[in-house]
Amino acid sequence: MIPDWMKGSSNPFSTVLIANRGEIAVRIIQAVKEAGLKSIAIYSDSDNNSLHVEMADYSIHLPGETLLDTYLNIDAIISAAKSSGAEAIHPGYGFLSERADFAKSVSNADLVWIGPSPESIEIMGDKISARKKMIEYDVPIIPGEELIMDNEDFIEPLASAAARVGYPLLLKASAGGGGKGMRSVYEPKNLKSQYEAASREASAAFGNGTIYVERLLNKSRHIEIQILCDKYGNSIHLNERDCSLQRRHQKVIEEAPCPILSKELRHLMGESALKAAKSVDYVGAGTVEFLLSPNGDFFFLEMNTRLQVEHPITELITGIDIVQKQFEIAVGLELGLIQDDIGIIGHAIEARIYAENPSNGFLPATGILSKWIVPTSPGVRLDSGFREGDKITIDFDPMLAKLIVHSSSRNSAIRRLDSALSEFIALGVVTNIGFLRNIINHPLFIRGEITTDFLDNAPDELFLEKEFDPAQLIAIASGAQKLGINKNHRHKNSDDLLNDYNGHESDPFRTLSRNFP
Amino acid sequence: MEWSIGKDEKRYITNMINVDGQLKMSLFTSDDEIITIPDISITNDSKPNRIVINVSGKSQLAHVVKVDDVWWIHLDGRIHMVKSHEINSSKTKQNEGSLLSPMPGTIIEILVKKGQRVRQGQTLMVMEAMKMEHKIQAPKAGKISSLIHEVGQRVDMGVILIEIKE
Repeated sequence: MIPDWMKGSSNPFSTVLIANRGEIAVRIIQAVKEAGLKSIAIYSDSDNNSLHVEMADYSIHLPGETLLDTYLNIDAIISAAKSSGAEAIHPGYGFLSERADFAKSVSNADLVWIGPSPESIEIMGDKISARKKMIEYDVPIIPGEELIMDNEDFIEPLASAAARVGYPLLLKASAGGGGKGMRSVYEPKNLKSQYEAASREASAAFGNGTIYVERLLNKSRHIEIQILCDKYGNSIHLNERDCSLQRRHQKVIEEAPCPILSKELRHLMGESALKAAKSVDYVGAGTVEFLLSPNGDFFFLEMNTRLQVEHPITELITGIDIVQKQFEIAVGLELGLIQDDIGIIGHAIEARIYAENPSNGFLPATGILSKWIVPTSPGVRLDSGFREGDKITIDFDPMLAKLIVHSSSRNSAIRRLDSALSEFIALGVVTNIGFLRNIINHPLFIRGEITTDFLDNAPDELFLEKEFDPAQLIAIASGAQKLGINKNHRHKNSDDLLNDYNGHESDPFRTLSRNFP
Repeated sequence: MEWSIGKDEKRYITNMINVDGQLKMSLFTSDDEIITIPDISITNDSKPNRIVINVSGKSQLAHVVKVDDVWWIHLDGRIHMVKSHEINSSKTKQNEGSLLSPMPGTIIEILVKKGQRVRQGQTLMVMEAMKMEHKIQAPKAGKISSLIHEVGQRVDMGVILIEIKE
């Protein structure tokens, strides 16, 4: 039986396989459930016990040691969908979400692909072809050029391209994303070493070492526009997100709306984003990223042909459930919204909680979430794929959760975020929670003046935990020890950590409605 | 037992005595210097992994959990780590010249050879974890006296990677 909202659709489905893991798989499974559909999860050995597997109606194990065997294995995922009776596949973000060959294989297998066409993905996935389209459709772009490095003698072409583009510059992997394979070069003498690092990172993460050289625009903001397009040529944008607060080109805090964007500029950027989408006959939810220079010029960076990590802030300020909209578009319904329907309600901020050590070069941290109590209060949303007792390993991205707040104004949203972060109890794994609090209490953040170079130039104190009365801390540790508060959870270098401790021994609700695969 | 906070090497010694069901701080010294004993007491809370700290009459809840020899403490909106040590145990476990792995990961490049002279800050090795690259740099100038691992090897956090002699 199909749910009411799907009536009249050309392409109905009732079961969705989520080709992803972690918080985004959890987010999509929840949306699938709300939509009255059935969810199917996939998981690798290390996710045997993960939340997304627990939540899905049914789950399928993908054997193998590496990502190529599991979350990047197109054939295995398609056969999992076929064997489990899935009728649609949602790719989430990362993994196979921007792989045209995956989108094609899904359609070829007579499954509904919840995303844009393989052609759109292909054009936007390649920085050169995307730039060509943007020029053709009158969307402004940053000066730059691509280098196809097929021989060993790369220094000369690289140096001359760099000279044409001008310093400072950015080296980007053509197939890149998420800050991987990206390096900034301020002086010619660092060009070679930075190129080698970028190209190595790119081939490790994407299997493609082609590099794009681009002018680095200082003191600019990263502004992106969320768009929705249906199959019938209707398209709208859901305003912007300001994602200027980044470390190593990876977003840390995002907010919507941008604190300084005028109505006129929002309109212009929205129009440009829709032009970019139109240039590839885009269908679905997507994001067009721009760099906004201090003088108000903006330049196309790239289009993400998938759901974004930071989509929740847009959902909060517009009241639109983007994942539900993805389902509606995929089944062939009309958008049912026009641009004038889209407003901005209050202000939303997202902080990404990472397992990493800000005072030590953001090195990833591992361990067990021995205590994990997340904040719950009005206007606070937490998207996470973890729960207490889960083991954090180096196998996947270090993002533990997204803490998202919504309030009537920017200032009250900042206060709400600070309060929620201070109530976030994450013990057993080093996190960036204290660092996030330091940032959002920084005068530049409070004044809404953050540009993408903020963390590169920030003072050392920002990265350190605040000093605290040692007597109180020592009293607590010594007192807790004396009171015999808990047994000692020993870290071993073996994989039986979870057998030692899972944090749920006494929780009778844990096994309720649990699906054992 | 001695205690240290975070990455700070300073050691503290305390004694908590039971007074009417409360653990009251009765000694607090740091690196042999006696500090005025603050008015702090600790009581157990009904919930697991929670205690009440009372400072000069003002009470607050703290969440605590012990992993290995570290107490993780959530107090007043911030997270802290307090480590326990044997009394008089040596402060630095590592000898000055050995470079320890800062994280679990895979060694993807070794840029130096045994016997090579390196300057301070020179990149010696590149490690990868969570799909990101991290450079291992020389903490001081010297000569590479031993290279323990090979490219492609996966290492745990805190193992010796390279040793440098003056």
